Amino acid sequence: MSEFNGKNIWKSLREYQNDPELLKEKISEFKEGVTDEFDTKNMNSFSRRKFLAILAASSAYAATACTDYRDKGEIVPYVDRPENVLPGKPNYYASTFVDNGEAHSILVKTREGRPIKIEGNDADPISAGKVSSRGQASILNLYDPERLKDPTLEGKKITWSKVDTDLISKLTKYSNEGKEIAFVTNPVTSPTTKKVISQFKKKYPTTKTYTIKLINNENRKLAWNKSFSSDLLPLIRWDKAKVIVALESDFLGKEGDNIENVKLYTKSRDIVNGESISRLYAFEAGMTLTGMNADIRFRLKPQQQHNLVLSILNKLLEKGKLPENLLTGETLTQIKKNNLSKFAADNGLNDKKLEILVKDLIDNKGKAVVYAGDYLPVETHLAVNLLNEVLGASSLYDYSLGFVNNGNLTSVDEINDLIKNMNNGNVGAVIHFDSNPVYELASNLGYADALKNVETTITLSEVNNETTKLTKYILPLNDNLESWGDYLVRNGNLNLQQPVISELFDTRQKETILLSWLNNGKVDNDTYHKYLMNSFKEDVYSKGNFASDFKTFWFTALHDGAVKTSNKKISHPKLNKVDFALANKVGSGFTLILQDNYFIGHGQYANNGWLQELPHPVSKVTWDNYAAIAPKTAEQLKISDNDVLKINVDGREVSIAALIQPGMTENTLVIELGYGRDNAGTVADGVGTNVNLLLDGNNPNKFVFDNVSVSKTGTTYKLVSTQEHHSLNDEFVKDLHLKRHIIQEGTLEEYSKNPKFLEENKAEVFSITNNYEYKDVKWAMTIDLNKCLGCSECITSCNVENNVPVVGKDQVEVGREMQWLRIDRYYSGTPEEPIVSTQPMLCSHCDNAPCENVCPVNATNHSPDGLNQMVYNRCVGTRYCANNCPYKVRRFNFFNFRDHFRDQYYQNDLTELVNNPEVTVRSRGVIEKCTFCVQNIMEAREDAIREGKEFDGSGVTTSCQSACPANAIEFGNSNDSEAIVSKHREHNLSYHVLEELGIIPNVTYLAKIRNTHSEDV
Amino acid sequence: MSNNEFTQELSVIEGKPSLRSLDEIISKPLDTKPDKKYYIALGVTLTMLTIGAVALAYSFYYGIGLWGNNNPVGWAWPIVNFVFWIGIGHAGTLISAILFLFRQKWRTGIARFAEGMTIFAVITAMIFPIIHTGRPWVAAVYLLPYPSQHSLWVNFYSPLLWDVFAVSTYFTVSFTFWYVGLIPDFASLRDRTKSKVKKIIYSITSLGWRHSNRHWRHYEMVYLILAGLATPLVLSVHTVVSFDFAVAQLPGWHSTIFPPYFVAGAVFSGFAMVQNVLIFIRKIFNYEHIITLDTLEKMNKIILLTGSMVGYAYTMEFFIAWYSGVPTEMFTFVNRAFGDYSWAYWIMFSCNVFIPQLFWFKKIRRTIPIMFVIAVFVNVGMWFERFVITVTSLSRDFLPSSWAYFKPTIVDGALLLGSFGLFFTLVLLFTKSLPVISIAEVKGVVDGSQPSHGEH
Repeated sequence: MSEFNGKNIWKSLREYQNDPELLKEKISEFKEGVTDEFDTKNMNSFSRRKFLAILAASSAYAATACTDYRDKGEIVPYVDRPENVLPGKPNYYASTFVDNGEAHSILVKTREGRPIKIEGNDADPISAGKVSSRGQASILNLYDPERLKDPTLEGKKITWSKVDTDLISKLTKYSNEGKEIAFVTNPVTSPTTKKVISQFKKKYPTTKTYTIKLINNENRKLAWNKSFSSDLLPLIRWDKAKVIVALESDFLGKEGDNIENVKLYTKSRDIVNGESISRLYAFEAGMTLTGMNADIRFRLKPQQQHNLVLSILNKLLEKGKLPENLLTGETLTQIKKNNLSKFAADNGLNDKKLEILVKDLIDNKGKAVVYAGDYLPVETHLAVNLLNEVLGASSLYDYSLGFVNNGNLTSVDEINDLIKNMNNGNVGAVIHFDSNPVYELASNLGYADALKNVETTITLSEVNNETTKLTKYILPLNDNLESWGDYLVRNGNLNLQQPVISELFDTRQKETILLSWLNNGKVDNDTYHKYLMNSFKEDVYSKGNFASDFKTFWFTALHDGAVKTSNKKISHPKLNKVDFALANKVGSGFTLILQDNYFIGHGQYANNGWLQELPHPVSKVTWDNYAAIAPKTAEQLKISDNDVLKINVDGREVSIAALIQPGMTENTLVIELGYGRDNAGTVADGVGTNVNLLLDGNNPNKFVFDNVSVSKTGTTYKLVSTQEHHSLNDEFVKDLHLKRHIIQEGTLEEYSKNPKFLEENKAEVFSITNNYEYKDVKWAMTIDLNKCLGCSECITSCNVENNVPVVGKDQVEVGREMQWLRIDRYYSGTPEEPIVSTQPMLCSHCDNAPCENVCPVNATNHSPDGLNQMVYNRCVGTRYCANNCPYKVRRFNFFNFRDHFRDQYYQNDLTELVNNPEVTVRSRGVIEKCTFCVQNIMEAREDAIREGKEFDGSGVTTSCQSACPANAIEFGNSNDSEAIVSKHREHNLSYHVLEELGIIPNVTYLAKIRNTHSEDV
Repeated sequence: MSNNEFTQELSVIEGKPSLRSLDEIISKPLDTKPDKKYYIALGVTLTMLTIGAVALAYSFYYGIGLWGNNNPVGWAWPIVNFVFWIGIGHAGTLISAILFLFRQKWRTGIARFAEGMTIFAVITAMIFPIIHTGRPWVAAVYLLPYPSQHSLWVNFYSPLLWDVFAVSTYFTVSFTFWYVGLIPDFASLRDRTKSKVKKIIYSITSLGWRHSNRHWRHYEMVYLILAGLATPLVLSVHTVVSFDFAVAQLPGWHSTIFPPYFVAGAVFSGFAMVQNVLIFIRKIFNYEHIITLDTLEKMNKIILLTGSMVGYAYTMEFFIAWYSGVPTEMFTFVNRAFGDYSWAYWIMFSCNVFIPQLFWFKKIRRTIPIMFVIAVFVNVGMWFERFVITVTSLSRDFLPSSWAYFKPTIVDGALLLGSFGLFFTLVLLFTKSLPVISIAEVKGVVDGSQPSHGEH
């Protein structure tokens, strides 16, 4: 009986009576017998607590397993924020991009410490905010998964201290033994690097330097020196020229600082803001970027160029415009042997057109310039120098930004001696100072074999190449973006290079490696930085008369990316009288021209997917080189596209696929170098054909060969291009771009007679519905086709900015390239004398966008500021939008291309760092397209909101616009009548492609005006 | 009874079989074990299906880049297959609904089978719009107007969305129609069967049918209403499918002739496919007296009619392209006939327009091997019609710079093969699990089953 609240509680009478039996029973918990079978030993040891714990844990597991959460590591805010780093905001650093000896001032955009984009430095007068495709795409080289990461000896990883001790003792030994240390380098343009090398030579006195460069302008430099006794080549102010004659010269595509050339040249083509434009003549064998933009183009074999110049000189002589006192007697007889009409007849050129050319040159004295190509012989350059002098072209020369001569290349005799010495065992060590001689020196010199006879072979390189394959010590170098440096390429303009990220791997700067061998291996990451600063102080700061203290000066120089070291005015030197007789015979058979490639150069950028996939500006071929051949010649030899040809040059043979290129000179082949790389990386290896094998080592600057024999092998090799090749003779598809008013053009004469001549083509479009009224900002773009040359810099810029994947040759073949912006190239006229039109094509963000209404899930729709938006997360990939887009600018992710390309080559933790964090990385199965760089728009809008200003749409640039060296692209608010876009949209030359569809596109084109001979019209 | 009496309808079932014998002969395949030939046939179709399934698995795993689609040809074989199979499905509903409303008694023998084929063809077709998308796993959800947290709604402007509704409605109505027709047969089977399991199944599926007069009255009414509902669907489904093309602005797609042209084409190909399959069925299961030569001849007449309509459409398209004066439109049509894909165009034209003209000859209409071959040609031609419309228009559109030639891959081929595998597997299973001829309806059209003035 128990007690509760003072009451006795009882459950039974027995309890009430306090039965003793019951009390006894109550002591044990269970009744007797109940626990008989209850033996704890036989029971499961699994306790109740444990059971509950497991139950709880498993339900927690079950619940969490339903999410796709995976621990991606901890994200914590900065405790100590690095100075000037604001998450979400980019930082820009001025630096220098070094490309084949040229230095370009750049701005590197970094986000949270990682470089994501390279742009031109707009504070720099030379680059003026523009940089080549190579420069832009070189950001990918920093994140190349195949960069060399550690020093190696015969393939085995070693430490830098071992490298240093080994090599210092070896180099000292060779110096003491008197054995040569061969130092093979590309031209060095850095004064401080030169200083380091000379110190190195002092410490190891048996060192000999060899400077090599496959593609060079030695002939031009040599001729200039002969003509003017000067090493300073002037910059030509193309913008001031009225008549330009390019002789086998692709100055707008490949030669010199082509970006600067494009910038200046297109200023002279500004018909939109002016009344007149320059006239460009081109004489060339192949079809180049310059040739396809020429107003008047002549097909001429390169061996005939010399006679052409002489014939022009003769004509001037006849007209009394050539003072004989400028000529030597020998030259005069040479000139007199030539006759322009005869030359025209011999070479099938239009006599009348040549007459007009000469007349143009005479009439535009002081504003006309003739420009000879880099690989024309010295004699031709001499003749051209004379011709220019007569034409008064010196008034177009700008010496204040002239090209400095950083030393000539090593002669072929010296190279042959080196190879002999290597084979004799007289060379103890070979140091390849960031050079690739096995690839660059013609194979018939036998350099590769000679390397085997050298005891110590050392290659300093960022990536593997043909030379690292044959060397014992491979020393990895820093990328451009991890390096310090200074470069003097232009007169009085010292470019500075600063690292924007610390070394990703155990690499060193090439100068640091030399310094370490000078200082007994005592170096650290900062050594060259300090060295450079000291040298800068001694050589630049102390010599100039600068107001600020050194530290300020140094940081200002770094900030600006360049420093002006001299303002000396240089006048045009006096012309020397020189002979330029040339035994000029054109052999029978084919003429072969070897050139570098527009994007991968002579192979330096072969492992860069973005550049490999950039369509050739003329042929639109990607991922291959080919033998370009004239349509008529192909017909005669029954060659069609993709036929493999066997090409024989003096016994050196190569088989390569043919491509019929309209506009080529007959019986001529043009092949680009830089392909067929070996040991150069997963992207580069096996792409295209190595035609370096055709080069003749004993004639190092010879890129034009005679007596070449060509035969069909009977096999085919598929070349892929981003644009189908249509026969120019097929009446059915011929000139469709003109018939459909996709390309609208006129001549200068037509335009000056009737500025509104385009109105005839305007379609009358009316709508039965009311269009949406854009009240605030409305985005629009205009593209000036007078300025657009088709150089494709914009495509690269777009690729980098918008994380556009590389898809590979197999996917380009089936038309799945992902570039958001493409340059359409159309031919009209005859296959022999085609007229080429180019047109950048990108999403037009149409007001009545046909893609929008067909999307079943509303994944693509319109923004109130006129953007055609793409919501990747919503997209299910029906591709209906792509079908309904008349411009076919929508791109579909047929695969996860990062996963698909070269077995995930670009899908790794390192390469992912290149991605722009403001742009979604698209995965498989969604459509993507140009966004008008909406991330830039949003950034500007946010800035305006933060600053409390009304957003008027000014100051926003798209990535293609900022990269265009010609400034052909304008972008802005079309509701703002003051904006350039609005003015261009109203211009007489403006038109829309396919405007008859009533879709109201917002990319407006300004029709091209050609300055052709009015006599032809 | 005089044969010369013009008001006398020809009997659709030959030989006046007894009603009991009809029961027996129609349910015989369900009562007997399948023979070796059946297993071989099933083996073949399942192999085809497996090949398709493997191809599909690969496509899901790697992405639809395994197909030949490119830029600009965003739609290719999967869409061609989709339109083709939807077209095949058209004969069934036309036979069962429209011909029912027109009191065409000859339809009775073939209606059930044709309806079955409709359902299988629609099932086969419905796979393609889902798998052809880049992300089928979200397409299956996002294409439905479901209430979403993000307030996202589908785009009712898009013909693809109309497709979703049209095809799913079509499937639902066709299936209901078919099932309602099956109820009395299920009841007959229930009453006949000796197997316990079958009895349970048939009891459930027959929904308590007791052959009562009341049931019959309701049944007839429901059947009539459903026929009325299905009739506009026959026209609407392919009309909506044609909108996928017609609403787009692509030259060669953007055409007002598409709805009638597509419907005619669908009936054309549907009849050809039904005729092909029935030729086998009537032979194998001894239904020659139920599915008579007269019936086949009538089908051939419809093939001839619709084939000529299709031919008219082809010609009219050319005329309108020229008459419109739109250069891109003119180009597209000349390009179809004489461009890169002219081979496909002429396959289409010969198979669909020239060859069916042979059906003007009665002898050919009534000779089974010849009519079979012609119908096969029609199906090949109709597949190519969709190919020509879809691919040639896309491959050469407005800007010559973006033109590209389309080449299919082996995966495309495997998926097409797989679709045939799926269709014929379902057909084969159908022949062994359900009465392929409506027992109840056939009994109604046997001579003497209905009171007629001839008998009086």
